[in-house]
Amino acid sequence: MPQITLNDLSLKDYNLTERASSLKKIYFRAMPEICIERPRLITRFSLDNALFDKERISILDKARMYRYVLENRTPIVHHTNSYEKGMRPFAFKEGPPFAGSTTSKFKGVPLYPEFAIALTIWPELWTISKRARNPFHITESEVEELNYKIFPRWIEHNILEIARKRCFEENWKCYGRKKYAPEIKLFQQLVFFIASKAGCISHTIPDFSKAINLGLRGIIDEAKARETKASDSSQGEFYKAISEVLEGIITYSRNLAKKAEEMADKERDPNLKKELLDIAEVNRQVPEFPARTFREALTTVWICWTAIHLENPNIGLSLGRLDQVLYDLYRQDIDNGTIDIQHAIELICCLWLKIGDHVPTMPDAGEQLFGGTGSNQAITIGGVDKDGNDAVNDLTYVMLRATELMKLRDPNPNARYYPGINSGDYLRQLCAVNINTGAIPAIHNDKAVIKALTSKGETIEQARDYGVIGCVEPGSNGRFYGHSAAILLNLTSALELTLFNGRHRHTGLDVVMSKETGDPTTFTSLEEFKAAFERQTCWLVEQATNLNNLLGRVHQDFYPTPILSAFFEGPMDKGKDLIQGGATINSSGAAIIGLADVADSLSAIQKVVFEERAISFADLLGALEKNFEGYEALQRRLMNPDKTPKYGNEDPVADANVSWIIELLDGAFGEKKNYRGGHYRVGYWTMTNHAGFGRLMQATPNGRKARENFTSGITPVSGVTPYLTKALNSVAKQPARCLSSGVALNLKYTPEHGEAHKMLDNFLASVEGYFDDADGERDGGMEIQFIIADHNTLAHAADHPEKYPELLVRVSGYTAYFKDLNPQMQKEIIDRTEYRLSTGKMLPFDPFPLPKKGVDL
Amino acid sequence: MTSRPKRTLLRSIPYLFSDRAGLFIAKLRSKRLSEELCGKVTDRFLELLLSGMHLAFCLSKGYRKNIKDFEGRYLFRTADRLVATAATFKEGDMEVHEEAIEDWNVRITFKDAAALMAFIFSRDQDILDSLLANDVEVDGNLNYVYKFGFMARDLGHRLGLP
Repeated sequence: MPQITLNDLSLKDYNLTERASSLKKIYFRAMPEICIERPRLITRFSLDNALFDKERISILDKARMYRYVLENRTPIVHHTNSYEKGMRPFAFKEGPPFAGSTTSKFKGVPLYPEFAIALTIWPELWTISKRARNPFHITESEVEELNYKIFPRWIEHNILEIARKRCFEENWKCYGRKKYAPEIKLFQQLVFFIASKAGCISHTIPDFSKAINLGLRGIIDEAKARETKASDSSQGEFYKAISEVLEGIITYSRNLAKKAEEMADKERDPNLKKELLDIAEVNRQVPEFPARTFREALTTVWICWTAIHLENPNIGLSLGRLDQVLYDLYRQDIDNGTIDIQHAIELICCLWLKIGDHVPTMPDAGEQLFGGTGSNQAITIGGVDKDGNDAVNDLTYVMLRATELMKLRDPNPNARYYPGINSGDYLRQLCAVNINTGAIPAIHNDKAVIKALTSKGETIEQARDYGVIGCVEPGSNGRFYGHSAAILLNLTSALELTLFNGRHRHTGLDVVMSKETGDPTTFTSLEEFKAAFERQTCWLVEQATNLNNLLGRVHQDFYPTPILSAFFEGPMDKGKDLIQGGATINSSGAAIIGLADVADSLSAIQKVVFEERAISFADLLGALEKNFEGYEALQRRLMNPDKTPKYGNEDPVADANVSWIIELLDGAFGEKKNYRGGHYRVGYWTMTNHAGFGRLMQATPNGRKARENFTSGITPVSGVTPYLTKALNSVAKQPARCLSSGVALNLKYTPEHGEAHKMLDNFLASVEGYFDDADGERDGGMEIQFIIADHNTLAHAADHPEKYPELLVRVSGYTAYFKDLNPQMQKEIIDRTEYRLSTGKMLPFDPFPLPKKGVDL
Repeated sequence: MTSRPKRTLLRSIPYLFSDRAGLFIAKLRSKRLSEELCGKVTDRFLELLLSGMHLAFCLSKGYRKNIKDFEGRYLFRTADRLVATAATFKEGDMEVHEEAIEDWNVRITFKDAAALMAFIFSRDQDILDSLLANDVEVDGNLNYVYKFGFMARDLGHRLGLP
């Protein structure tokens, strides 16, 4: 049976149904609400079972806790109320065909007090519903319950504080004196790196195929059979834990069915009554038993997804290759007439809305530094299958159409494209949807990505079956436990430590933070400077990986993940939880912030200080210290691509410096082992951190002034790359084997409405050219993502957010609503190099003013 | 700070009259703190905040609920290390010490009173500015800071302070 039977791949004749349209309106109207159901239940269970007193929490303890939560959480078939802007309540009746929810609220903010972030909102509980940016609704009684009953229990019991205590105790044993966890201190100084394990692991893709095809009962039977043959007690405990959590999920689904039946009993409208009875029937079948229809398969995914989020914080958990996992039942139902394409699109639209029914916790300071993020739940479509065959199917296009119609932040859509195997028509459609939505989906080059993954030891079959995690990180679907965002490393801090001989202007030039690598004013060549930079970078990598491993070991003792382990390849065979190394593939990921700024700084030092000797190193440092005040001519020169080499212009010096850094980091991280026995992988995607870190850092040698944004992902610096083709080529020549944790190349194209067809042709050509491996001379670009909006529109949206509620943009990896971003991040998006495709040239660079102090920050 | 007998006397007020009456008295006694919060931040900010909290713990059963079963040891010190103040919470009571203490749960080192106020009350972008300027340094368990931050704001909430 051919996988493509559609006559029109755009599916333009199919639009939003009345139901999907109405649900979308409600979704955009609703404000997020803090949900305290999960913390209430886990706190109660932990107290009743003395878990707070334990030195280690076993997987069985955790499994029993999650079963308790699943069985006792409120079964909500449909939400009927929420709060709109100004925190005014509103009611509605429409509901999707999927019962259940991630939280007890329509658009909930779940709290995970086991991690560092939940308690950060404690001081703001009385004001969080009134804060200027991204407020969360919370009731007075909820504030009181959190303050008196829930948060106090977790003061000493979250992952970060347990790690700090351990570190302190170990130092006490080793040194006999108080030493307060130096790596944690570095992390809390904000400018060096972010250790995400304090907040979650999450970033991974579960495998839904077993749940769909066998049902959870089938997995329980397998676990029970394995339990009888377990080689030791820990294996036996693992299998018992799997059964516990899956029984909990089954009960939750049954509770939903029961609730739907009760509601149906009272419902007078025959259509609504039938809808409720249908829901009940579906939820009594799945996820306990194998899905028989497309809708049941979607329900299996959805119910399991809510359970996975109950265990794992809602940051970066991703759904993987849904067009592959769900295709057989889709095909069956289309062929036997159970559903038609319009109905399938509506089901997908409703599922997308359900997937976006929660947002991550974020305190006010976090909003100002890194705000605007969703949950970054990536979905992946297209590409090739394990055997290397074209995997694009009708459902790929159905999902693409649903994505185009809904234009949502979550899920974060990513499309795979294998040049020469996937059709040109498919790529053209991906480009068309980007133009129509202005931002989605991101497009990944299978050929380069598969090369990157196999270079890290994955088999070709595993690599071909990759899905996208969180922002843009590739990971083999359902078998790769990689915590791709474990470390967010501010590379510009390594540069800073090199420039100031182990000191950092943020922490004070009187304190040696790392190691003294020499006063750069005494260096006589760039090689000396690069050697010092290498040592500082390795020091930073050492600190970040040490802390990640420390936090990982705390996770191993306190945060086993039986639910996620049940939906993964590896743990069942090994009888081992994911956190103990149960997955087939284990690794940790580091994302690098500031690549282009650091590379351009090296190029500037090379050219201006050592080659042309236009300025001494001492004068350069003086200019940096004065933020280029009094050194305006120098700054102009450093910013001018005609006078100073800049990455993104096919300049051999500049591009070679980028490659050198990429190789350096791949080597430095690659040699480090993580706590699960895997190795570290490196990626270049920055989320909003390039804006956040930018605010913390002083002027840099590439001419960037203090507090200004760094450049996102693997993208060249804004305003210094006049030609699109050259910019794309500079990125495409970087070695894929060193980019195995993904990249984000952010481009901005001017909408060319008058010549839409021509724009699409040029758009397509730009992607094809970027992905081209030039007959093996290079790897070709790995990923590309777009914003299709001009400077004026974005500047207007910054001033009038109320007029652009649905304006979608790609940040650096994930998708966001422009209005939700903080002003610094909005500026970064507005300032991104904008190309007109018809000319291939950059539009005049017109930097948006930095937000003024006191204005909406 | 108040002596133990005086504290016992103050604690009887919400029982004899009402929590509202206790808060009313606390508000009258917190005029200086209110002025500080309005922007006239002086070096006495921390002292006024701690004494305001101490008084409110005595005069309001509702506010005192914040420290029921709570144990915490806070050390505040200036960046030049010349001034140190500590607040300890134990068995439903608060004590303020005009000197450094050992075995703190959290140590907050601040450049000046304005930075400390911004950090605790984190209004608008103040907390970000204090981070940018590295004006406040925290050692130890941050959750104690969050707890303290809530109590400080809860004081403002209950007393109707700006």
